[in-house]
Amino acid sequence: MDPALSRNGAWVLRGFFALVVVFLYAPIVILLIFSFNNSAVPSFPLSGFTLHWYHEFLVNGDLRAALATSAIIAALTSVGAVALGVLASIALVRSRFRGKALVSALLLSPLVIPYVVFGISLLLLFHTLGVSNGIPTVVIGHIVITLPYTILVLVPRLEQLDPALGEAAYDLGAGRLRTFWAITLPLILPAILSAFLIAFTTSFDEYAVASFVIGTRATFPIYLYSALRFPSQLPQVIAVAVVVLVVSLTVIVAAEVGRRWAERRVSLEV
Amino acid sequence: MFFVLPIVIVALYSFNVYSLFPGPHGFTFDAWRSFVHNHIYIRLFWKSVKMSLIVSAIIVALAYPLAYYLALSGTKRKYILLLLLIAPFLTSYLLRVLAWKVILGDQGVINSFLFWTGLRSPEHPLSQLLYSRFAVMLVLGYIWLPFVALPIFVSLESLDKRLLEAASDLGASRLRAFWAVTLPLSLPGVIAAFFFVFIPTLGEFVTPSLVGGTTGYMYGNQIVDLFGAGFPDWETGSVLALFLIIVVAVLTIVFSRFLQPQQVATD
Repeated sequence: MDPALSRNGAWVLRGFFALVVVFLYAPIVILLIFSFNNSAVPSFPLSGFTLHWYHEFLVNGDLRAALATSAIIAALTSVGAVALGVLASIALVRSRFRGKALVSALLLSPLVIPYVVFGISLLLLFHTLGVSNGIPTVVIGHIVITLPYTILVLVPRLEQLDPALGEAAYDLGAGRLRTFWAITLPLILPAILSAFLIAFTTSFDEYAVASFVIGTRATFPIYLYSALRFPSQLPQVIAVAVVVLVVSLTVIVAAEVGRRWAERRVSLEV
Repeated sequence: MFFVLPIVIVALYSFNVYSLFPGPHGFTFDAWRSFVHNHIYIRLFWKSVKMSLIVSAIIVALAYPLAYYLALSGTKRKYILLLLLIAPFLTSYLLRVLAWKVILGDQGVINSFLFWTGLRSPEHPLSQLLYSRFAVMLVLGYIWLPFVALPIFVSLESLDKRLLEAASDLGASRLRAFWAVTLPLSLPGVIAAFFFVFIPTLGEFVTPSLVGGTTGYMYGNQIVDLFGAGFPDWETGSVLALFLIIVVAVLTIVFSRFLQPQQVATD
């Protein structure tokens, strides 16, 4: 007898699970259906198949510019956040120093701050310093937001590593830097890739902070937010939404599968 | 540094040391005093607290059986199913709000479906669906539900199953074992889950501004509006923002003994 779950109980829970998954994916499927619907208003009955809305957004220059801006910001953010995240994680795992608990609490605190508050705080800071808003200011904000996620991914991986490996390399005459490049980095590479991906997607999708410090340009979420107020743009926004959702779901699944595969391989080698 | 410094600046604004408008000014408590005496803001804050509490409680209650099923039913595919559950959370936030806007509107998917099938006449759409407190809470719940399952799953997954076998050997029914063993041991995960939804929804402004209308207006919207176009009042806005941070900080300290962020993030 299974002490956790009776046969009927498992059946009920399985049904409930399926129901919730339907609830979670139904809105996405509805978007998919209406992105091909030949009508300016997304409503029933469906009025025919069209690729018009996809064509429409492909030739929309503002939208493409917004996507490019977001891609640049996300790329800079993820590189910065991962670089800082690796340094911070190694410091947190490998060394003991005074105030370590305080430092790690501070590094992780952006996880709980409401983004609206952080956004206006940055706005006031840059205003006070006289820095003009633009891509660099958004990147700074996004690095602060995404840094804790990179640390949370990297620290557990670093903790799994046997410190003896590094010591062995060191004993064999490798310098600290060489040890890092030859031993530590390859071993934590899968975690670095996940951290990079998390930072990239978070930044690409972030609206609240960006809206305060972007100035006059538009990132993709900012473009979406304003487009949501004009019904005439709705169908092509739905088409973009479908593309972005499908791409991101694919990347998420691929990354997860890849990470499990890579970590299994690394742990077998070691 | 880029995290602490901005908040200090907000604090200075709230005491009028800095100001949007040029001219002489000094350290005052005026903005704080009017915040405390102005019941509009406090009442709005309570309304947001209530909305966040309801959303968090409902989705934690919904997520618990999901996590329980994944962690304890012994299914072979639990990591695939977990990924299936979490994946929507990792996709674009705004686009998921957009989906609900399309679904709930007066001319939206639900209403037009009802007209089409004749269940309701086009003159009388279900107009409470969009631009209401209900819409805000539904969308927030939809957005956070997958995420909430994660910490609960982790705490149930790390539960030693032998404890349940022992309880059952000692004659406890499954229900009794659940109340006496499983639930108490998974409580840290439940509390962490609750906290991780409650905090961000409390400061939420994007969802209410897109689907909330006037009745779904939340504290976060008020902060944004005080900093926005129209009649900016950075001083009062800073007070509101700082008040929110203080509440969040106190909650974080109270809850921190239940929070093990590394556990939450690794899986």
